[in-house]
Amino acid sequence: MTGTATERAEAATAPVTASAPRRAATAAVGAGVVLAKRALMLAVLLAVVFAAVELLPGDAASATSDRGESAADAAARRRLLGLDRPVWERFLDWMTALPTGDLGTSARGERVTGLLSAPFPNTLLLGGTAFAATLATALALGCRAALHPGGPVDRIVNITSGIALALPEFVVAVGLLLPLSLWTGWLPAVTLTAPDGAPASWTMLVMPVLALTVPQAGWNARIVRGALADQAGAPHVTAAHLDGLSPRRVLLRHALPGAWPAIATGAATSTGMLLGGAVVVETLFNYPGLGTVLAGAVSDRDTPVIAGVVACTGAVISLVLLCADLIRARTLGARP
Amino acid sequence: MSSAALAPSRAPRARVLLAVAPGALLTLLALTGPLFAPRPMDEPVTAPYAPPGPAALLGGDQLGRDVLSRMLHGGSALIGGALAVAVAVTAVAAVLGCFAVLSPAVGRLVERGADLAILLPPVLGMMLLALAWPGGRLAVMAAATGLGVPYAVRVVASAAAPVAASGYVEAAAAGGERLWHLALREVLPNLRATVLALFGLRFVAAVYVISMAGFLQLGPRPPAADWALMIRENAPGALLNPWAVVAPSLAVGLLAVSVNLAADALTPAARRAAVGAR
Repeated sequence: MTGTATERAEAATAPVTASAPRRAATAAVGAGVVLAKRALMLAVLLAVVFAAVELLPGDAASATSDRGESAADAAARRRLLGLDRPVWERFLDWMTALPTGDLGTSARGERVTGLLSAPFPNTLLLGGTAFAATLATALALGCRAALHPGGPVDRIVNITSGIALALPEFVVAVGLLLPLSLWTGWLPAVTLTAPDGAPASWTMLVMPVLALTVPQAGWNARIVRGALADQAGAPHVTAAHLDGLSPRRVLLRHALPGAWPAIATGAATSTGMLLGGAVVVETLFNYPGLGTVLAGAVSDRDTPVIAGVVACTGAVISLVLLCADLIRARTLGARP
Repeated sequence: MSSAALAPSRAPRARVLLAVAPGALLTLLALTGPLFAPRPMDEPVTAPYAPPGPAALLGGDQLGRDVLSRMLHGGSALIGGALAVAVAVTAVAAVLGCFAVLSPAVGRLVERGADLAILLPPVLGMMLLALAWPGGRLAVMAAATGLGVPYAVRVVASAAAPVAASGYVEAAAAGGERLWHLALREVLPNLRATVLALFGLRFVAAVYVISMAGFLQLGPRPPAADWALMIRENAPGALLNPWAVVAPSLAVGLLAVSVNLAADALTPAARRAAVGAR
């Protein structure tokens, strides 16, 4: 995903050669505009988060102080951490360092990039696997249901997805944990970390991924089903039916392409839920991800770490939304 | 037009009632639960993680407290909080949404707000506000309200747009009525169905967010009984007394599913796709 986005960005900024087709050029410029918009939203979000942490009572110097530390010591640490400078100055410093991959220094004096470098890929692995599983399940269920509208499969999918989408991830996790691990011992209940900081075995990923996938798959299966139902009434789909094509072919070749924008948008909104749910599920399975870092950072009032986590997750969500924008632009052929 | 609008709403009224019943029943049970608790909810009555027995029908929790009594105590604050959040979000969104369709400046602000909110996973925003702002349940409820409003306003605004463009609103605007009169007296009364459906969806979302906060130990503090918190507290003893974990999980799951069933029934089919984001 990163590759496509940067390619598009480069294409948008690179001078367009005279021989390049005009359409590609306008599409690239359009993609550039979308990218710039998404980047701007991300910057605004970070500013809001920075301001929110500032407005809340207490600061990092008092939150991380040791027992018996005097007021003078705390003031010295405040100076050391740069907390005596105005908020906007710290925010600007932090923002200008961001493009170089520098996320600043935590309240305990560690590099934020270093703090997040091991847990973030783990959370991405968890969320990414769950995203792929969600999309595959939702597409399979939604298409099967749409094949015979009102049929038994359609009704069963409708009911089960309605139940699944309402369940919080930790309830699903407990529902999996007891039968799959504690009573049978099939899967490990706790994630052990290998020396490189990643989960030691793929079996440890199964339950967290399932716990994340079930609610989101239910949600997206409904969106797929709804989008296909909308397409079923379109003239070209009716025409394909009247031409005597098999329902399967009509669904996959004629209805599904038009349904992609709605499906992509639905999946993109799931990204935030998946990343948020990952933080929760990680605590139950002791998974070495962002959840633990975040819990510590929030109680320490560690603005750079929190902003770093928000920046990372926000960037991932922005990228997925960007992909959804591009899919929509491609399918509808209109301006992005 | 009126007969076309009435016919589909009259017929399934019984179905709507049937769909709302489980959620309402569970809510009633949770709110009156403390009255039926056989044991005090904060005193040990049996051994820690004791299996079900005559002393405690669902066994003991991590301190030997009666799981059944804590179950009966643990739902009211969760449901009450979710109800309060749903009411607050719906009310704020209904008013803001009506202003948004009448004033382009507010409309743009609402759009940007929703674009912004989608970048922040609700759990992250919740952690940020609730942990740094000591206040337990109130902080969680405030955070859930703040995080829920942006989406909800967008839903109201999209439903209010056709109303705002209709002739009688334009006539009232041309007649010099003030903005708040247009929004609250002319547009809002036509959005009852949308607001009701939105309330259902916000209740579902609030149950999700507040139980999540409870599970993350952000809201209720330890001696308090709370279904989501019980799951977290008793997870280490799930093998000794599974009921200490299974009962609250079932309760949260049943609550979420029954509330969602009710919300589904309240949402007109045509709007279901539009009321997308949670």
